[in-house]
Amino acid sequence: MIHILLALAGLALPVSVPARTAERALPSGAAQSQPGMTEAEGLSPSADAARVADWVAASGDNHALPYIIIDKKAASLFLFDAEGQPLGAVPVLIGVAVGDDATPGIGSKNLAEIGPAEKTTPAGRFLAKYGLAAGRQKVLWVDYATSVALHPIPPGASKKERRRQRMLSPTPDDNRITFGCINVPLVFYTKSVRPLFQKKGGYVYVLPDTKPIEVVFPRLRVQALVNGGVPDPGPASSTP
Amino acid sequence: MLAGGLGLGGCATKGFVREQIAVVNQRVDALDARLQQTDSTAKSALAEAQAASGQAQNNGQRLDQLNARVDGIEQRLQTQEKQRKRPRN
Repeated sequence: MIHILLALAGLALPVSVPARTAERALPSGAAQSQPGMTEAEGLSPSADAARVADWVAASGDNHALPYIIIDKKAASLFLFDAEGQPLGAVPVLIGVAVGDDATPGIGSKNLAEIGPAEKTTPAGRFLAKYGLAAGRQKVLWVDYATSVALHPIPPGASKKERRRQRMLSPTPDDNRITFGCINVPLVFYTKSVRPLFQKKGGYVYVLPDTKPIEVVFPRLRVQALVNGGVPDPGPASSTP
Repeated sequence: MLAGGLGLGGCATKGFVREQIAVVNQRVDALDARLQQTDSTAKSALAEAQAASGQAQNNGQRLDQLNARVDGIEQRLQTQEKQRKRPRN
């Protein structure tokens, strides 16, 4: 009975979750006023996500390709078309470890060889493309070098990990469970992500956990200057 | 009387024999022509069979070469499959 209820809940995921996860949104008034990002399906972007969306839309950093912004802190994904129009927002599962870098050589390790602290989803700007993975499965490689891909919850995932339940839960705190890959709801993946990305790929912007956002996306500083503001000096520039 | 009978019988037999010989000659000629045709057909068939045998040998060799290439490609694919990355799920 529980399985049936979970299955039904999973089918309704793309519709019901954004509404429930609206509570996750950071109290950002600026986010609502950004031209590059509006509230998509009830899931509000954080201030950082809105800032990155604004920058990408204004600068054309996506080079006329569709793009995705992943807010790790909010465990949320925002999808945009090539023109910068928001197409949807869903909760995601990300790497269990907090951190913005990938351990050197992690891309050649087996899953069993990856230590707990290495299971990070690296932050940054990635040109994602579809490609073949082991088992002849086709995945959207976000960062091939570190074996980070974006895909639905894998069928072989351990039931003990309760990935489905974690994705359905209203809090982002339990959405850190993967080895570093980004898991998205199946319906969203097949109906929204794959049709957009399967031909030419697109960009994936992964917001940082701990690093300052302008360290991960340096061109945000330029954008801030263009907008007439003062860029955040960040920790790097504060040192002599 | 007997000699006369034999003489008359001998004359009739010569004509009869000539006719018969002519008929037999015709049949022999016809058979000879058919034999030559059959011989020619057999030789032609033998030549074709020899050519087909040679072609079959060539085809067999080509198949062996292709099999080797397919085996090589399959092995390379298997190697690539083993080298293919697994996403970090």
